[in-house]
Amino acid sequence: MRNRATAIRIVVIVWIVAAVAGDVALALGPIPPGQASDLASSESLVILLLAEIAWPVFSAVLAALFFTLVVNRLAPPTAEVSAEALRGNTRAQTTWIVATLVIVLSLAVYGTVALAIDQPGAGISTVSASLPQPASADQPLEVQVIAQQWWFTYRYPSYGGIETAQLVLPVNQKIQFHITSLDVTHSFWFYALGVKADAVSLNDNVVTATPTQTGTYRIQCSELCGLWHGNMADNTAMVVSSSAFATWIQQQTTLDAPIMKFLAPYSHTYEPSAQLIYGS
Amino acid sequence: MRSRFWILVAGVVVAGVLVGFFVTRFLNPTPPQIAATTTSTTLQGRPVVSFNLTTVAAVGTAGQGNGEHPNWVGYLPTTFLKVPAGAVVHMTIDQQDGQTGLRNEYLGLVRGTVNNQMTLNGKVMSALDPSLAAHTFTIPDLGVSVPLEGVASNAPANAQEVIEFDFVVPDTPGLFRWQCFVPCAAGTLYGNGGPMQTLGYMAGELQVG
Repeated sequence: MRNRATAIRIVVIVWIVAAVAGDVALALGPIPPGQASDLASSESLVILLLAEIAWPVFSAVLAALFFTLVVNRLAPPTAEVSAEALRGNTRAQTTWIVATLVIVLSLAVYGTVALAIDQPGAGISTVSASLPQPASADQPLEVQVIAQQWWFTYRYPSYGGIETAQLVLPVNQKIQFHITSLDVTHSFWFYALGVKADAVSLNDNVVTATPTQTGTYRIQCSELCGLWHGNMADNTAMVVSSSAFATWIQQQTTLDAPIMKFLAPYSHTYEPSAQLIYGS
Repeated sequence: MRSRFWILVAGVVVAGVLVGFFVTRFLNPTPPQIAATTTSTTLQGRPVVSFNLTTVAAVGTAGQGNGEHPNWVGYLPTTFLKVPAGAVVHMTIDQQDGQTGLRNEYLGLVRGTVNNQMTLNGKVMSALDPSLAAHTFTIPDLGVSVPLEGVASNAPANAQEVIEFDFVVPDTPGLFRWQCFVPCAAGTLYGNGGPMQTLGYMAGELQVG
């Protein structure tokens, strides 16, 4: 019995050390998707929080498993014995249920509050006209993402509705992505910014994020969408300084000049023509 | 009993061979890859190579699948192209299909070609009225996109539009997909099925190097 008590102490000490070391390592290590935007930072924080809570629980399960299999096992009976009735351990059960309730309810409250603060958050499908539009100087830059088998293009309604094949954003500027599709369902995934939302035909999916780090990033489609789905990606999305963004917009405006008179008026969704619906 | 066993083994082997044949055929497109024709000219200090493709409303017995889908729209003779690294590709496309119209008008813009221009029946252009397009020749990863005007419905029989443009391929070898962005697959939902989803018709690969 004394050896058993010693083994329990050792297992508990090992668990505490592993739990603390793991949580410290998680706090020091990189957590996806990173810190390239306010949204990404928020997601990283949630992932870190969940991991910090989950790791001690997971290591406790492993410690209990080890204790049960190695320390607490009974030697095979030498003669046939009658099974003893099992009785519950009220204290252990109460502790387990209360701890689980506290953890789950705390996370539920935290998640609900985080979602409420982030409005409009990732991938809220809505009619844009009903969205609360900020009226302050912090008004977001609207950028439309148009998915089509198999390419993303982008429109900038604040700059005459020009359309581009490359996504370039100014740093530290709140961006309101309006995501739609011209055919099947796609998904716009700007991993580094923590933005991932479905692109659905005749729907306007709104996501807001503020890029906080300049750089070149990858965008890809994350909804299986046909033959070239795997190639519906772009490694040239950029977050640049506001002056570089202004220069880029000017260049794109010049490049777009020949097509501007043909572009459809800016809209949050685009109806296909009857000719395209019924085939040629 | 023993003969039954061997019949079963033979059946499994035959089924395996058939499945293997189907998978191999699926993974390896049947149309041959064509290499660009070399020319003696240079542009921007780079060698110029050329292709001559034709777009047709129905491939018939030519092209991908050896007549498997004769009524499908397609590029001929193939959509698998090979060019040397660092070359300038001079592309001539004899466009024989009718006008469908672009789903995204932006793709009516000529992009990624030399001077961002093409010629349509000898006339230099930077953009095409999207409603007149029959197809596009677009290589997204190279930023190349050229709209191809369709033959008007009142044009004489055997009429075609000739589109020419030049674009530069990278100096390093690579494999680039290219495709048409006009939903031109008649008879399929939103024009996006069949030949739009099958290599060898309205989609292909450009091998550089």
